[in-house]
Amino acid sequence: MLPLSLLKTAQGHPMLVELKNGETYNGHLVNCDTWMNIHLREVICTSKDGDRFWRMPECYIRGNTIKYLRVPDEVIDKVQEETVRRSDRKPPIGTRGRGRGRGDEGRGGGRAGGRGGYDDGYARGGGGRGPRGGKSTGRGGGRGRG
Amino acid sequence: MAGRKETVLDLAKFVDKGVSVKLTGGREVTGTLKGYDQLLNLVLDEAIEYLRDQDDPLKTTDQTRPLGLIVCRGTAVMLVAPTDGTEEIANPFLQPDAA
Amino acid sequence: MASTSLEPLVDQTISVITNDGRNIVGVLKGFDQATNLILDESHERVYSTKVGVEPIVLGLYIIRGDNIAVVGELDEELDASLDLTSLRAHPLKPVQH
Repeated sequence: MLPLSLLKTAQGHPMLVELKNGETYNGHLVNCDTWMNIHLREVICTSKDGDRFWRMPECYIRGNTIKYLRVPDEVIDKVQEETVRRSDRKPPIGTRGRGRGRGDEGRGGGRAGGRGGYDDGYARGGGGRGPRGGKSTGRGGGRGRG
Repeated sequence: MAGRKETVLDLAKFVDKGVSVKLTGGREVTGTLKGYDQLLNLVLDEAIEYLRDQDDPLKTTDQTRPLGLIVCRGTAVMLVAPTDGTEEIANPFLQPDAA
Repeated sequence: MASTSLEPLVDQTISVITNDGRNIVGVLKGFDQATNLILDESHERVYSTKVGVEPIVLGLYIIRGDNIAVVGELDEELDASLDLTSLRAHPLKPVQH
């Protein structure tokens, strides 16, 4: 499974992105591309030390500044589904990269309805996302890394 | 191949609006977006740079300096966000059981 | 089997050291040309000289390749025999660019 396929599949889902400078961004993935550039909505930005917080309606992040992304566990199961579905339509694996990019436009509508449930589920676990943020911030301070 | 993929974010909706831009190296500027290209080069008018902590250049302060009309080189752009609706908030991750 | 690919490690538990000095352990679910990794059921091991190794549950992670220093196969049997709570170590420093 390709990391970027997982990321594509995570569209519409909440996620945590840490940048190389240590800032973290919690938000819902709107879109991403083959360079891992991402567009997030309803974002909470946390400073490197975890002591300052900003709310922003949306933001664009350049892929090469990303350290890692944390995505909801259930997304990995969705990738398999979509891979199967896609391979039904498009046997040649070699062209997948491009095919996926274009396929998006078509899938957009389906996503809004189809994945809504996942969204709500994760949002309800919003408490679950909280501690995470807390943890990561705690870690930043606790380990005293430069 | 150029233009193999439409951009993730259509900057057209930010034109003539305030945007906040973070650049590699730690600089942070806000300004009115006047133009852009597909490489994410940006033209900002009435740009303001947020000055950074002397001791920790990765931290920005509330001190600013005016830059005027600037071009941000696309390769240095790390993050773009609209200033409208962006605000500093209290820790939203605090838990009730946190000590 | 000589291989420069991570393919043989897929679905195995691996240990990753990132450029900021973190040690992340998880099941490799995927990778690409840029060594971007998908790690499932991952956790970070935080080392310190004061207390034992603290595992922090991370879940499903995509780690960007240009932030990865080392990828290693984990001997699960050997790993299970370790008493992490009594293991003390200096944390790694971040990579100096």
